[in-house]
Amino acid sequence: MNHFAAALSVAVLFVSIASPARATVNVVTTTEGLAAVAREVGGDKVKVTALSRGIQDPHFVDANPSLAVKLRNADLLLDVGMDLEIGWLPPLVIQSRNAAIQPGGARRLTAGTAVPPLDLPTGPVDRSQGDIHPSGNPHFLSDPRRVQLVAAAIAARLSEIDPGSAAYFQERLQAFRAKVAAAEKEWKAQLAPVAGRSVITQHKTLTYLLDWAGLQAAGYLEPKPGVAPPPSHVAGLGAIVKSAGVKGVLVESYYDPRSANQLRDLAGVKVMVIPGDVGGTKDASDWVSYVDTLVKALVQAVQ
Amino acid sequence: MVNIALLSLLAAQASAPDLGAQGQPFPTGALNVGSPGGIPIGKLMLMPEIAVVVDGALGYTTLSNGQQELSALVLPQHKVWPLLQEVELAFQATIDPYVRGDVFLTFSPDGVEVEEAYLTTLSLPWGLGVKAGKIYSPFGRTSQLHRHQWTFVDQPLSMQRLVGADGLGGAGGDVAWLTPLPWFAELHLAYQATAPGFADVLQLTGVARLIQYFDLSDSATLGVGLSWALFQAEAPEQWKNLAGADLYVKFRDPSSRSSVVLQGEIYGRQLGEQTFSQARWGGYAQAVWRLDRSWEVGARYDNAPAPLALAPGTQQTWTALGSFYTSEFFRIRVQPSLVLLPGGQNGFQGIASFEFTIGAHAAHPF
Repeated sequence: MNHFAAALSVAVLFVSIASPARATVNVVTTTEGLAAVAREVGGDKVKVTALSRGIQDPHFVDANPSLAVKLRNADLLLDVGMDLEIGWLPPLVIQSRNAAIQPGGARRLTAGTAVPPLDLPTGPVDRSQGDIHPSGNPHFLSDPRRVQLVAAAIAARLSEIDPGSAAYFQERLQAFRAKVAAAEKEWKAQLAPVAGRSVITQHKTLTYLLDWAGLQAAGYLEPKPGVAPPPSHVAGLGAIVKSAGVKGVLVESYYDPRSANQLRDLAGVKVMVIPGDVGGTKDASDWVSYVDTLVKALVQAVQ
Repeated sequence: MVNIALLSLLAAQASAPDLGAQGQPFPTGALNVGSPGGIPIGKLMLMPEIAVVVDGALGYTTLSNGQQELSALVLPQHKVWPLLQEVELAFQATIDPYVRGDVFLTFSPDGVEVEEAYLTTLSLPWGLGVKAGKIYSPFGRTSQLHRHQWTFVDQPLSMQRLVGADGLGGAGGDVAWLTPLPWFAELHLAYQATAPGFADVLQLTGVARLIQYFDLSDSATLGVGLSWALFQAEAPEQWKNLAGADLYVKFRDPSSRSSVVLQGEIYGRQLGEQTFSQARWGGYAQAVWRLDRSWEVGARYDNAPAPLALAPGTQQTWTALGSFYTSEFFRIRVQPSLVLLPGGQNGFQGIASFEFTIGAHAAHPF
């Protein structure tokens, strides 16, 4: 019996060593931007996986069933919302069999619910307006104000999932806020001399950032969201470039640059290729460096 | 999709309340008996997602009706013929926290049909999921797709003649297990009443399918599927066994909208009194190149049993495809086919089609 008890004790000890209590929260995000913010807040208490990459157009990620495997064991799914992922996320969530991350589930956090939206439709809401987002513009994560709201929401949700680490998440949140505040000060200094100037972008991806930066969008290469730019529209932008004194066009790396190049040839604007998200270029390795890249491109584009 | 934020904004604009410094709840609207209170149009949030997909075409063929026998699409010979192939009406919503419901009705020249109507469980343990209702059988790759998910204007004849004119499907249930393997591996077991081929008679059917996906790299995915259906055959001409294997490879640079998809399936069908060696085989192989957001080209080779009215043998069909997308919701396709029938009875078929979707945004096909 003593031998049995000893053997049992060794077995229990072995099992307890081999299967330690889960120390990290498995966070799956739809974009690399959200993954970057989750890492800022979660630190070493989270394991973060992004379903898409920063070099991808987040509207057109493939609903590859392999991604459902990543969602299967997610303790928390972070999505952008506002219909950004409507073309690919819903079937993956169902395929994952993970009840907690279904819409409205306890382990689902849609970042779009944490921020005040811009570009809410004020006119007709139909697809004559292009591939519109009726809930508002989902490209809010490059805005230093809104990213802090998202970070706070992530910290709160992580604290619910892992209450023992709540103080840690709050500490990380405060550190992230301080980092953003310091960077903001620097960015505002760079932007101050060019305040009020205008740029042209491919899609309405920079609406929030321009709003924060005090810059304007004089026009968009897409005549309507998601609609390919016809030559006549590019020609029309040529006139806007001249009348508004636009110096540059910003195009995310995942867009075809041909229309931007046409406008460059037509009106002499600079074409700046920018990351569409964290990880979109080598320099944009985390949230601060991503926005730093955007701010530098903006300043260069308007001069 | 009805959106809470937008509805709230609309409600706020409509009633223009002075919320005051402390904020007040939204007014209940007119103070009528029976007024529901709250946001006046809040009920809309409980509406299911609704979409309508319309498929129309112009078709031309040099083939006679007999030469087109056992085809879902039969065109008058030597005439440019307009078609409204199908109108699909889709309703989709979560039923409660545990199940969701999907209903697809189709309106075609043959009448109105429930294409699929099923519930899907959302919270079963151990990686299990159940679909129950009228469903497509978990057999093969292309036979489970709705018309608007087809890349080509029509389905391969090998699939139509060996599996089902509109795919294989019927009332029943499908239990799917997402295995705990580190790649996507899903095992389906279904029990249904199906009408395979072009028959109208229902047969009790058991279906098994294993589908797996492997990420070969950041830009390449391999899908491999094996399917088998066992039918209760009560007559010699009825289906007894049906086997299928499918292969799918997709290459896509993540930073681009361009992609190349290589896909193929083989089917083997054994009728009631046939031995295994008498089973009929067929299949197709296709390549589709999505050039950019707007253009797509493809080619397909199909090898199917020839129509019964002709000499025994195989029918080979070579098909080309050109598609133009103005958006995710509208596409135009042109599809010429060269048809090689037994005895040198060859022919040509051409289809120009349009397809549009109004309503809810569907998921992108993979």
